[in-house]
Amino acid sequence: MEKLNILVLEDDKLAQKVMAVHLAGHNVDLADDLKTSLKKIEGAKYDLGFFDLMLGPDDDYSGLKAIAAAAARGVHCVVVSSSDSDEIIDRAYALGANDFYAKGNEESNVADILRKFLQNRKAAGAGDIFSSAFITCDPETKAAASEALKYAPTELPLLILGPSGTGKTSLAKLLHEHSGREGAFVSINCSAYTEDLLEAEMFGHTKGAFTGAHEARKGRLLEAHKGTLFLDEIGTMSPGMQMKLLKAIEERSFYPLGSEKTERSEFRVISATLEDPQALIAQGKLRFDLFQRVHGYTINLKPLTRRACDIAPLVQHFTKGGRRLAFTPEARAYLENYSWPGNVRELKKFVDLVSCGPEGRVDISAVKKHLKGREAVQQSPAQDGALYAYALANGLEAALEKVAGEIITRNLRENEGKKTKTMADLKISTRLLYSTLKRLAPEEEKK
Amino acid sequence: MTTLSDSGKLLHDLRSKCSSLKSAAELYKDCSAAEKKEMLALMNAAAAEIVKLLSQIEKSAA
Repeated sequence: MEKLNILVLEDDKLAQKVMAVHLAGHNVDLADDLKTSLKKIEGAKYDLGFFDLMLGPDDDYSGLKAIAAAAARGVHCVVVSSSDSDEIIDRAYALGANDFYAKGNEESNVADILRKFLQNRKAAGAGDIFSSAFITCDPETKAAASEALKYAPTELPLLILGPSGTGKTSLAKLLHEHSGREGAFVSINCSAYTEDLLEAEMFGHTKGAFTGAHEARKGRLLEAHKGTLFLDEIGTMSPGMQMKLLKAIEERSFYPLGSEKTERSEFRVISATLEDPQALIAQGKLRFDLFQRVHGYTINLKPLTRRACDIAPLVQHFTKGGRRLAFTPEARAYLENYSWPGNVRELKKFVDLVSCGPEGRVDISAVKKHLKGREAVQQSPAQDGALYAYALANGLEAALEKVAGEIITRNLRENEGKKTKTMADLKISTRLLYSTLKRLAPEEEKK
Repeated sequence: MTTLSDSGKLLHDLRSKCSSLKSAAELYKDCSAAEKKEMLALMNAAAAEIVKLLSQIEKSAA
């Protein structure tokens, strides 16, 4: 365990003792008044500080002054106080506090604070994540993944959206690695099983539970105890299965097939789908209550064709430790303009193929040979599965409006909100721009 | 910034002491024998403080 330098500012002897026990294993310095704490902050380098605010019966929130001093020296400041009025909470955050907890729940809070602190520090220190664990140099994808990593050490369920092969499983694994959870990362592709098999796979079964069940088997839910359960293609599960899963997530317990005894499993859910969840709900393919349970924070991954800057680093990553390749400028341009319908997975397959080829320097003809029949064209909107599903559920007109809205919103964002530039870029009328923005306004407000 | 009145301060101290006592009680079962002894002494002192505070609150309410 990493040993942290921790300051505890607390005037109550019993509370000091409680904190010292909870923080055992770290270097803990105790201070019971402002003067002592300021002296300690000045003279030592602390990673973390726990601050009480009222120090003694006649004190006037002097702990706040210590927070300001500690925050200025880069200490992660956590308030643990019985003074939890909105005004005091606001003041503490304004002075640099990172967290504010009401006194009295140290048993669960302190361990949680330490875990979150260590995980966030690990994530911040791992500057090379995007050149090793999750390869990307696309600013939008980096920002989406970085934001998601902030939620990794929490209990919040995460939902990853993106076309097939964009790296949803890699991102889920990365999130698990940064979660600090002691259990395993357990992945299950819901689309790969029939309903009966999926149920047996998820919940496990006893010996003789069904024909062919020659021995008892532990389910994925149990394997994910204290870890992460990654549910890929969640929208492909039958409504009945979704109901059973929802119950297991809510109650943290379930019955294996053929068993009368419940099993308990405390897993965190990360799920993924390549389809639009709202469209799946509209079509009755995804239960709304299950969706509510699994979409605490949503991450969108762009298709590879919209992050062509990732192609070169990905190729480099796939050939690391093996035969390195060089591409002629024409070949490189072709790769960057290719539609990559199979995304990163397709690129990996392509790299494997050319790596086995006779030439280390890959030219346009070799590229075309392996990407034969898939011209370097953008994917047509009708081939976009999520959009197609949306059109089926809501009608073609609504789907076209959705596309128009997304294009206009993106262009406006890229133009930093300059409407005249967007009208010129997209060759649209003022009327179309404003009617689209008006239509989008309630959705934006909801966000 | 708002400052607490005397009765507000008494109530704050009461909440604070009770919270510490609750946290200590939760922790007690996992402590070593030596720690239990120290913890009990501190819990007793906190309980005495709570009694004192309650009597002060009672007086100020009268």
